[in-house]
Amino acid sequence: MNPLIRRGIRERLRAKKLVAAGIFSLILTATFYLAAFFDGMQVVVPAKESPTGVTELAFNPVNGAREAFTPLLVLQGFFLMFLGTGRIASVTAEEKESGLLDYQRMTPMTPLAKIFGYLFGLPAREYWMFVVTLPFLLHCVVAGKLPFWNILHLYAVFFCSVLLYHLTAHVIGLVVPRPRAASWVARLAVLGLYIFLPALGQAGISFLSFLTILPTYFGKILPHLFAEGTQMGRFESQAVQFWQEVPFFSISLSPTTFTFVMQGLILLALFLTGYRKWRLDSLPAFSKPMGLGLFATLQFLLLGSLWPFFSDGQASGLLGSVVQLDPAQVGLPSQLKSDAHPALAMVVVQSTFFLLSIGAILILINICCPNPHRRLKGIQRIQKLGLPTIPWLADEAPGGVFTTLLALLAILPYALLHLLAVSSESIVSISSSPSSIIAPASFLLFCALSLRAAREQWFNLGFWGFVGLLWLTPMLACLVLAVNDFLGNSQLMLHLSSLSPLTFIPQLMVYHSPNLVDPANPLVDLSASVRTGMVASIIGFVFLTFKLWKSSIK
Amino acid sequence: MIDVRELTIHYGEFAAVDHLSFSVHPGSIFGLIGPNGAGKTSAIKAIATLLEPTYGEILVQGISALNQAEKARGFLGYMPDFPPVYEDLKIWEFCDLFAQAYGLSGELKKAKVLQALHATGLQDHMHTLCRTLSRGMHQRALLAKTLVHQPSVLLLDEPAANLDPKSRIDLRNILKSLALEGKTILLSSHVLSEIEDTCDTLGFMREGKMVLSGTLDEISQARQKQNSLKIRLTKPFPTLQKIISSIPALSQFEDFGGNGKEVRACIDGGEMVASEVLAQLVEAGVPVSGFAIEKPRVEDLFLELESRPARKGDQP
Repeated sequence: MNPLIRRGIRERLRAKKLVAAGIFSLILTATFYLAAFFDGMQVVVPAKESPTGVTELAFNPVNGAREAFTPLLVLQGFFLMFLGTGRIASVTAEEKESGLLDYQRMTPMTPLAKIFGYLFGLPAREYWMFVVTLPFLLHCVVAGKLPFWNILHLYAVFFCSVLLYHLTAHVIGLVVPRPRAASWVARLAVLGLYIFLPALGQAGISFLSFLTILPTYFGKILPHLFAEGTQMGRFESQAVQFWQEVPFFSISLSPTTFTFVMQGLILLALFLTGYRKWRLDSLPAFSKPMGLGLFATLQFLLLGSLWPFFSDGQASGLLGSVVQLDPAQVGLPSQLKSDAHPALAMVVVQSTFFLLSIGAILILINICCPNPHRRLKGIQRIQKLGLPTIPWLADEAPGGVFTTLLALLAILPYALLHLLAVSSESIVSISSSPSSIIAPASFLLFCALSLRAAREQWFNLGFWGFVGLLWLTPMLACLVLAVNDFLGNSQLMLHLSSLSPLTFIPQLMVYHSPNLVDPANPLVDLSASVRTGMVASIIGFVFLTFKLWKSSIK
Repeated sequence: MIDVRELTIHYGEFAAVDHLSFSVHPGSIFGLIGPNGAGKTSAIKAIATLLEPTYGEILVQGISALNQAEKARGFLGYMPDFPPVYEDLKIWEFCDLFAQAYGLSGELKKAKVLQALHATGLQDHMHTLCRTLSRGMHQRALLAKTLVHQPSVLLLDEPAANLDPKSRIDLRNILKSLALEGKTILLSSHVLSEIEDTCDTLGFMREGKMVLSGTLDEISQARQKQNSLKIRLTKPFPTLQKIISSIPALSQFEDFGGNGKEVRACIDGGEMVASEVLAQLVEAGVPVSGFAIEKPRVEDLFLELESRPARKGDQP
C-alpha cells in the first residue's frame, strides 16, 4: 500500500476516531435518509379512488426510496467534496509551510505516487464516512427500482468530480505560499471552476457545464426519480432536455462521456502541475509548452462548443431560449431593432468567448512569464554558461513569443467562427466587414502583450495592482457616474469603460453588430469610445513594452 | 561524499550564496558556521535538492544533485532547521512511513526502523505519539527518521538547537559513531562549542561566501593563531613576567586570574616546545602546580572573523 495512504489511515482512523466518525455518519445519514424516505413513501389516496370511500394514506416504498436519493447524494457530496476538499487544501498548505512536504519531496517515490498518497490518504476519515452511507444507497437503489446502469454512470462521474475537487485543493495547497491564502484560493477556485464557469454553459459555452455531476444527474437520474404515476414538471423537463446530448462541432455526445472528457482534461492539467511542484517547489505551475498546450485545448473546446451556434444558430440553455423567442413577445428597448435578440445573443456569445480567452491569457501570463527575479536568474545563468540568449521555452525566458502565440491561438478560432457565421445562412446575423475580426483581434494582442510587459517588470503586488486598477476602476467610476446622471454621462461612461477590457470587449462587439442598434434611433455613439479603447490599448502596450525594454537594458 | 562547486543562489539581486565551493569526505563531519543570513541554510537546502541554485554544481556521491535530483535524493538524509513531525503518528509509525517511502518493505523495513530507533535511543518510546514528545525527543525522532533508510550523506541544519546538555552529548555521540561508519555529515550550527566538539572540519560562511575552511589546526595556522600556555602557580612569583619574556618561544604574558597565580602566554610551537618551556620554568624556581596547552577555540576564530569587515575573495 502507498505509505502516504497508510499514514492517512493511521493518523485519522485509529479505533476511537473510526467509531466516532462512523457513528456520526450513521446518525446523520439515517436521519436525512429515513426522513426523506418516509415523507416520500406516503401517498394520499383520494376518497373516490379509495376502496373504503374515504381519503386515506397509502405507503409506497418505491416513491420513498426515490425521494430519499437526492438528499443521500447531497450528504455523500458533503462528506467527500466539502469536508474532504477542505482537509486536503489545508493540510497540504500547512505541510508545505512547516516543511513536512520537503521530507516527502526528498523520498524516491514518484511524484504521481505522492499525489495519489495525498489524495486518498488525507481524506481517509471522509471516505470512511462515505462508506457508512453505502447500505442506505443500496436500499435506495433496490427499493426505488432505480436503473443500476444509470446509477453506475452517476457514481463514476461523482468519483471523478471528487478526485477533481481534491486534486484542485492539493495543487492549490502546493502552489499558494501561505496556508491561510491557500484555503481562500481553494474555496474561490472551487467556486469559480465548478459553480461560476458551469453557469456560462447557459451562454453557449456548453463544455463548461460539464465540470460538475449535474449534467449526469439531470440527464441520467432525474427522469427516474419521480414518484410512480406522476409526470415531470416544466422545469424538470427543460433541465432533463438540456442535459441530454451535447452538441460539439457537428456531432452529439452523451453528457457522461463529455463530463469524463472535460474532467479528464482538467485532471491532466492539475496532475502535470502537481508533478512539477512535487519535483521542485520553485518551478512555476506550468511550463511555457504546457501553457500553450492547455490554451490550445481550451480554444479547441470553445470552437467545438460554439460551432453549432455559429453554423446554424443551434443553441441550448438560456441562449437557445433567447434565439428562439418570438420577436413580438420580446420587449426590447426602442433603440434596438425589434428583431435584435439573435444579434444580442451573438454579442453575448462573442463577448463570453473573448472574456474567457483573455481571462485564461491573464492566468497563463501570470504563471508562465517570468517575474523580475526569475528573469534576472535566467540572465545570470546565461552569462555564467556563456549562452547568447535564454531558450524561449525556458521558464526564465521573456514571454513575448509565448504571449503572441497565446493571442494567435485565441484569434484563429474566433476568425474561423466568424467566417463560418458569415458563410452560413444562420438565423444569427454577423458583420462581414474585415474590421469586425481585425479590431477585436488586435485589441486582444495588444492587451496580452501589455499584460506580459507588466508581469515581467513588476512583482505580484505591482502586477495585480495594475490589473485591478485598469480592469476594475473604470467600471467602478462608471457605476458612480451612472448613479449620478445616466443619460447625461453616457458618453463619458462609454469612454471610461473602454479602458477596461472587461467592458470594452462587449462594446466592441455591439459596435460591430449590424443588426442590433437601430441606426435611426441610436442611444449613444459608440465609434468615439471604440477609438478611445483601441488607442488606449496601443498606448498601454507601447509604454509598458518600452519600460520593460529599458529595465532589461539596465 | 559532497562536492560543491561555485554554488550561487540569488534571491533577486541579493546573492544568498556566492560562489561557494567545498567538499566533505566520507567519515568526515563538516561544520558550517556563520552569522544569521550567512547563507548556511540556503546552501544546505540546495544540496538537499530543495532549492534551485542560480548556477553551480553539487555532486552527492558523484551524482549531480541538480540534473539527477531524484537519484541523488536516495543518498541523502536531511534534517531541517525547526523540523516538524506528523503529530498524530507514533514514533515507530513516523519512521515506518519513511522506511516504506524509501523502498524498504517486510522484515528488512522492520529491522531498519528498530535500528534507527535504537541508534537514537528511542526504542522505549516507539509507541509514543509524536505530539507528546519533548523537544529533545522530537529532535531524536527526526534523526531516527533521517537515518531509517541509512543514507550515506547526512545534512543537518541546526540539529542541536534547543536541546538540553544531555541530549546534545547524546547527539554528538550518535554523529561521531555515524562518521565512524563512513557517513558523510554536513551540519550547520550556532552552538560553537558543539561544532568544536563534533566536527573535524569547519567552514566559516559570511555574506554567502566561504571565508575560511579546513581543520581547526589548519585554520589556526592560516589565521596565524597561536596555541596558548596556561600556567598555575602554588604562590605568586614576582619575577615570573621577566622569566617568561626571556624565553623566545613565549609572548603576550597575561595574568588572567588577577592574583599572580594563574597566567597565560602565547607559545610558538606544540608539545615539544612546551615541555622545554616547563623545564626552563622549573629550573628558574617557578613553583608550577599546573601546566597546559590550550588550542585556539572556534569561538575566538568566529569572533575574530565577525569583527573584521567582509572582503572580496576572503579565503585562506
